[in-house]
Amino acid sequence: MRWLKSVLALPALALFLVQAFAAQIETARGPVIVGKTPQTLAVFDIAAVDTLNSLGVKIAGLPDKLYVPELAELKDGAETVGTIFEPDLEALSALAPDLIIVGGRSSPQLATTSRIAQSIDMTMNGDDLFAQAKQRLMAYGAIVGKPAEAAALASELDEALSSTRAAVKGKGTALILMTSGPKVTAYGKESRFGWLHSALQLTPAVEDVEAATHGEAISFEFLRDANPDWLIVLDRAAAIGSGEQNARATLDNELVAETTAWKKGQVVYMPAADFYIAAGGVQSTKRVLKTIRDAFSRTQ
Amino acid sequence: MTAGSLGSQGFAYWAVGAATLLALFVASLFVGVGELAIGSLASDPEALRLIMISRLPRTLAALLAGSALAIAGLVMQTLARNRFVEPSTAGTAQSAALGILVVTLVWPDAALGWKAAGAAVTALAGTSIFLMLAHRLPPTQPFLVPLFGLVYGGVIGAAAIFAAWHLDLLQYLEVWMTGEFSGILRGRYELLWVAAALVVLAWWTADRLTMLSLGRDVSIGLGLNYAGMLRLGLVIVSAITALTVVVVGTIPFVGLVAPNIVSRFAGENLRHTLPWVAGGGAALVLACDIIGRLIRFPYEVPVGTILGVVGAVLFLVLLLGRSSND
Repeated sequence: MRWLKSVLALPALALFLVQAFAAQIETARGPVIVGKTPQTLAVFDIAAVDTLNSLGVKIAGLPDKLYVPELAELKDGAETVGTIFEPDLEALSALAPDLIIVGGRSSPQLATTSRIAQSIDMTMNGDDLFAQAKQRLMAYGAIVGKPAEAAALASELDEALSSTRAAVKGKGTALILMTSGPKVTAYGKESRFGWLHSALQLTPAVEDVEAATHGEAISFEFLRDANPDWLIVLDRAAAIGSGEQNARATLDNELVAETTAWKKGQVVYMPAADFYIAAGGVQSTKRVLKTIRDAFSRTQ
Repeated sequence: MTAGSLGSQGFAYWAVGAATLLALFVASLFVGVGELAIGSLASDPEALRLIMISRLPRTLAALLAGSALAIAGLVMQTLARNRFVEPSTAGTAQSAALGILVVTLVWPDAALGWKAAGAAVTALAGTSIFLMLAHRLPPTQPFLVPLFGLVYGGVIGAAAIFAAWHLDLLQYLEVWMTGEFSGILRGRYELLWVAAALVVLAWWTADRLTMLSLGRDVSIGLGLNYAGMLRLGLVIVSAITALTVVVVGTIPFVGLVAPNIVSRFAGENLRHTLPWVAGGGAALVLACDIIGRLIRFPYEVPVGTILGVVGAVLFLVLLLGRSSND
């Protein structure tokens, strides 16, 4: 009867082996088991591209535009498989990836890409974005078999956060703005940029700005009355010219001039692609934190 | 009611109209995020400053844009000989937005004035083509013209969106497609005075525009320089639309609703109706901007959105009211 026991044990052993190669990871839509280490990756989320690149992973399929200037060279040798909004299914089929990563702007396409290969949604958002960025980083580390590298990058992120938090501490209130052309919208704690307030313990100048995708439309009178000590500014049209020039032209008026932020020169212009498109990527997040740390460190 | 009867009761109407506009004007001055009490105006220099920097420019911008757009709608209806077209539905505003996009690409740092010039040129081209094609439609089918206008405007709008999508400027285009006064301050609306000058020009040529609305043969028979007048009308419509799109964005329905309401009460003689159309447009935009400022205070809802709702309701009332009266 001993042989029978061994035979019965075989499937259990096989299951054990499969699990050894597979990784269970947390995605935006719950835990998912990813099979053996994928060799061919197609990635539609720029934050994921950034993080995987930081881990030294070569990505086979990329969207047509990567927005973040530092990632531009990744396009060499990679196939173009659509845009960050819409996959090119033919190109994707031809590439035949083992794993497809969507997130953020491409997350509605999850069902579509799932028809071609296993797809995971790695969207990050809201006031919890920093924690999610680390979670995604560890997940990618597990998928590509580089958990140690991922852990090292995670601790770099933590260091960047804590040094930025120290720089920000006690320097007053801040308001996150987006300018687009002549108009201005404000972002609050719950918004896509809200993680700056929660992760950095940065006091918001206005408590109750709601979490609209493109912010709350505000007037310059609102800005003057909110009177933040710091303005954190993103120019949405930064695709043309430098974001700082356009945003500065919009904000440079008699009412904004009355705010503490403008009087003290405490207006921080964010790197648009890092803050807006690739939010949560390892290098992008570090650059965002560095921008803030440098600006806040300049004053006492 | 005709223009004649309006004349006999004219004073009462004028008084009511002017009082409404004045009330909206004052209300607009005192609605805003910054604290401002009517009583403090005399004593507090800070309050006066806020009025001069922010409230008065915004109020004037709404007045100028509203009256100019209503007149542009009226002139366009005269040119197309159809009551149901206006610049924001029949391709003029879409052409202007396309022009802004082109100027932005070719010359990113262009001042607002140059963007307006570029927009005016494309708006002129877009409107000319619309009129050329609309005049070929059978005059027995009046609803074909606005329907064609919607399709035509949609096609140009789609072209602008397609270009913007490829260039990653979709959200930039949206700025010009949604009318909003939140960015208006002293120094940021003055181009609209040029639109006001065009309204004066329209008034000056009102009699000739009225003749134009009688059609080509009749107006030539009456001694009108038909082609010249058509060109002048085109320039007025295109320039007004381009200026308002550049300064505040597209505001729908004003050019449709204001002239139609006025014509139902006061007839078709432009010399009599022009001031009413201008005043009506101004009041409509001003009222909608005040609603937009209050509805989510202290945040703002774009005036274009409010007018989309209010204008659509007014237009439906006009259409339904007409069928029950006739």
